[in-house]
Amino acid sequence: MDYQTLLQLAVGGLLLGAVYALAAAGLNLIFGVMRVVNFAHGDLMILGAYTAFWLYDRGGVNPLLSLTISIPLLFVVGWILQRFLVYRVVGQPPLMSLILLWGVSLVIINAGLFFWTSNVRSVPYFSGGIDLAGIQISRSRGIAFVTALVLSIGVWLFLQRSRWGKAIRATAQSAEMALVCGINVNRVRLLTFGLAAAMAGAAGNLLITILALSPGVGPSFLLKAFAIIVIGGLGSFSGAFIGALVVGLLESFSAFFINAQAADAVIYFALILFLLVRPGGILGQRE
Amino acid sequence: MTKIVIWPGLAVVLIILAVLPFFLPNYRTAFLLITFMYVTLASSWNIIAGYTGYVSFGHAAFFGLGAYTAALLITRLGTHWLLASLVGGVVAALVAVPLGYILLRLRGPYFAISMLGLAAAFEVVANSWVSLTRGGAGLNLPPALNLVQVYFAMGIAMVVVIGLSYRIITSRYGLRLFAIRDDEQAAEVLGINTTLHKVSAFTISAFFPGVVGGFYAWNLAYIDPTSVFRPILSIGMVIMTMFGGIGTVAGPVIGGVLLTVVAEGLWARLPEFHRAAYGVLIVIVVLFMPGGIMTLVRTRGWVPRSWRV
Amino acid sequence: MATIARSMLLVLSLTLALGLTACATRTGAPPSEGTQAQPQEPLRIGASISLTGRYDRTGKEMQNGYELWAEQVNATGGITGRQVQFVIYDDTSDPETSRNLYEKLITEDRVDLVMGPYSSPVTLPASTVAEKYGYPMIASGASASDLYTRGYSNIFGVYTAAQLYLDGAIDIAVRNGYRTVAIVNENSAFAKDTVAGAKRKAEQAGLQVIFEEEYPNTVRDLAPVLTKIRPLNPDVLLGGTYGEDSTLLIRQMKDLNWTPRIVAFTVGPALPDFYQTLGEDAEWVMGATQWEPGLRGEGVAEFAAAYKTKYGYDSGYHAAGGYAAGQLLKQAIERAGSVDNGKIREALATMDANTIYGAYKVDATGSQVGKPSYMIQWLRGERKIVWPDAAAETAAVVPLPEWGRR
Repeated sequence: MDYQTLLQLAVGGLLLGAVYALAAAGLNLIFGVMRVVNFAHGDLMILGAYTAFWLYDRGGVNPLLSLTISIPLLFVVGWILQRFLVYRVVGQPPLMSLILLWGVSLVIINAGLFFWTSNVRSVPYFSGGIDLAGIQISRSRGIAFVTALVLSIGVWLFLQRSRWGKAIRATAQSAEMALVCGINVNRVRLLTFGLAAAMAGAAGNLLITILALSPGVGPSFLLKAFAIIVIGGLGSFSGAFIGALVVGLLESFSAFFINAQAADAVIYFALILFLLVRPGGILGQRE
Repeated sequence: MTKIVIWPGLAVVLIILAVLPFFLPNYRTAFLLITFMYVTLASSWNIIAGYTGYVSFGHAAFFGLGAYTAALLITRLGTHWLLASLVGGVVAALVAVPLGYILLRLRGPYFAISMLGLAAAFEVVANSWVSLTRGGAGLNLPPALNLVQVYFAMGIAMVVVIGLSYRIITSRYGLRLFAIRDDEQAAEVLGINTTLHKVSAFTISAFFPGVVGGFYAWNLAYIDPTSVFRPILSIGMVIMTMFGGIGTVAGPVIGGVLLTVVAEGLWARLPEFHRAAYGVLIVIVVLFMPGGIMTLVRTRGWVPRSWRV
Repeated sequence: MATIARSMLLVLSLTLALGLTACATRTGAPPSEGTQAQPQEPLRIGASISLTGRYDRTGKEMQNGYELWAEQVNATGGITGRQVQFVIYDDTSDPETSRNLYEKLITEDRVDLVMGPYSSPVTLPASTVAEKYGYPMIASGASASDLYTRGYSNIFGVYTAAQLYLDGAIDIAVRNGYRTVAIVNENSAFAKDTVAGAKRKAEQAGLQVIFEEEYPNTVRDLAPVLTKIRPLNPDVLLGGTYGEDSTLLIRQMKDLNWTPRIVAFTVGPALPDFYQTLGEDAEWVMGATQWEPGLRGEGVAEFAAAYKTKYGYDSGYHAAGGYAAGQLLKQAIERAGSVDNGKIREALATMDANTIYGAYKVDATGSQVGKPSYMIQWLRGERKIVWPDAAAETAAVVPLPEWGRR
């Protein structure tokens, strides 16, 4: 077991992890602001992925360019979901929103299956790898990594510096206080869901250049994203990145040391472990 | 007074169901059998989700566990399928005990997601433990040549679980489960051993899917990890119960029957459509009729509210 | 009183609903044995095919084969004077769906005959249904050994047994002095059979199998497995694959900038659009095949030409398999002198026949023993038969050049 292979695996896992982090941060936003677990988050990622695929399939469009379509598109989808469906269950027992979004997830999955069939798709726009001191970095992973990082930093800056970003963070801390301070909480929620969906869509858009995806795999990404935010720390933006690091590495190493499918099971066990032992995650915040 | 009317009514239904398979073509009998299966699954799920308030999104885990246990017993030891299925149910129940002990500490959404992950994890195990399960190649069982036997097996399982549901709902045990569902902390304070009740309800809810999983494996003569841990089973349980009326006895039955009938008309020609329709139905039910059909029935007075059904 | 009446009504209507639904079709006689058919009535053949899902590429090919066969047969007067009519449903590449569809085809649609679906996982439960009702099923798209070890008497294979698929690659490896072999495969019955057979043959030939791993059919990322293989530097990579995973493997091998000297997969490379999907990356990849348009045999050239005319591209072995299955059915019916399922089964079990696939002969379990398996290689954008020598169109080109030097 040479250290070069280990490094290869670690690098591969980390690169992918950044893309997961982008999606997980979105899930975290929704949870933070609305205390809702977006059960359709993985499927929103798939929507973004398939947008990229559709554009590539029809017009050979560069998946980075597709981001200019998938991001606004998913923003609108998220906005619509919040405006017409989710708002009704915010504040209700968490199970209601869970089941509601599960229903939405079903609709999205099967609409996807209907339009694109269950065939596995990918957008192999960037193929081949770069050799970096004996470590092969596949171009698609490298590019996805950089893009995901850039987008994440962009969102972070937005949350830190801009007015609406601060409004979102305020609402996450306490919706009542935010209301009292004059913040239009409804608008904030619409914005949050839209933004989170856009992040998921972007992540999916990038993901399909690396992996092969089909409409039905949304839930497995939801599980990953959920594991990431639980491990990293619910409600913490940077927690998503720590969590993604852990999950990305876990995934890579378990696929290597056990087998390709074991990764999902290992991540699941890590999730359960954290939920039981350290529900606050690594950057443990509330609860 | 009402009892004088209801029991014969139910007896009539049962007699008709018992006699039907001798007059129907196999395809229709198979359809009824699958309906019974779904009603059983939904009713079992109702016990942990509707009565106790712990909504599980991955109950197919127990179904698959039972299916594999039974299939392995049948193919390796030549066990009779009825016994094998019962053992499947027992194994599922035994596994549910420690699992329930651990997972039922998680609240609401966390529990739901953890069950989802459990079903996925079981599928991984079934795929990877090749020496036991032959992995993705699946298990081939001797063909079940007598459909009517399986029909009766499923039917009896269904009647038993419905009867049990009714027994629970009219008992003190059931009341305590409801207390846990409504406010677990208060229930604790009242002196109810919530852990014992939750785990026992969970175990019961795991037993029947295990048994029925065995029947299913026998009927299909071939199982593989994908087919017995499939999400649509878990989803079906949830939507049927919710649509019919979660937390009631008749709810899972009504939901199970209605949705299976509807699906029957659709699945062959429009498989994605009927599953997407499930999704839409879930959304509608959650938003507009979270109590399902039974709430409708109750508020309209078609069924006296005093009836614990 | 009113509430009691209402509740009775509820119970009764529920019962009625259930009963009505169940009795919605005419009950009655078991599926017809076809003995009372009028000469003008079409001969209905039922099948479920993977028109969508994992196996859709190959499923559609098979359907093409069936359709072309039906068209040609009907143009010459049909079978025993009856026009052939296929009743086909999409099983979405799902075994359980297929099983239900065959139940439907036999008990509700009352088809006269059935043909097999595509892939071993799907054919397994489908053939159980056929066995139950005594309908012989020609497995026109499956070859796993499981099909024939269950003691069924109603299943007949068209493809050569799965274990023999990769023999050609091993032979070529030996001839070129290669020593080490790495094996990956999907974890389903067919794929496992192919690599089990390959491993046995490799070891017999004195090669060393230095790596073996399975992956589930839901796999999305094979990079970790390839990362494991790369440092071991095997000469040969064998894959028990279908279409999607073989494509994924080639793509990720390129990403990792690694290739061994011989690459041979099952199913994928034999598909007509393998090159279309991968472009030049598909060059030099070898594939196991059951049939190629370049074979010298009875009716092969005519079929290849007719297929190309009708569909616009060269047929692969899946379409030819569908066609050959049709030919076998016709010959069996003619030999049996009737469309009675029992007599057809007899004929299929005992006859020697010839189709575009070559010689047909099955052993006692129904497995095909009349014809060999072949190996193709993509050379200059075309599939060429490279093994066995008797059928080869050209010699195999090994080793595969590195990615950087192409």
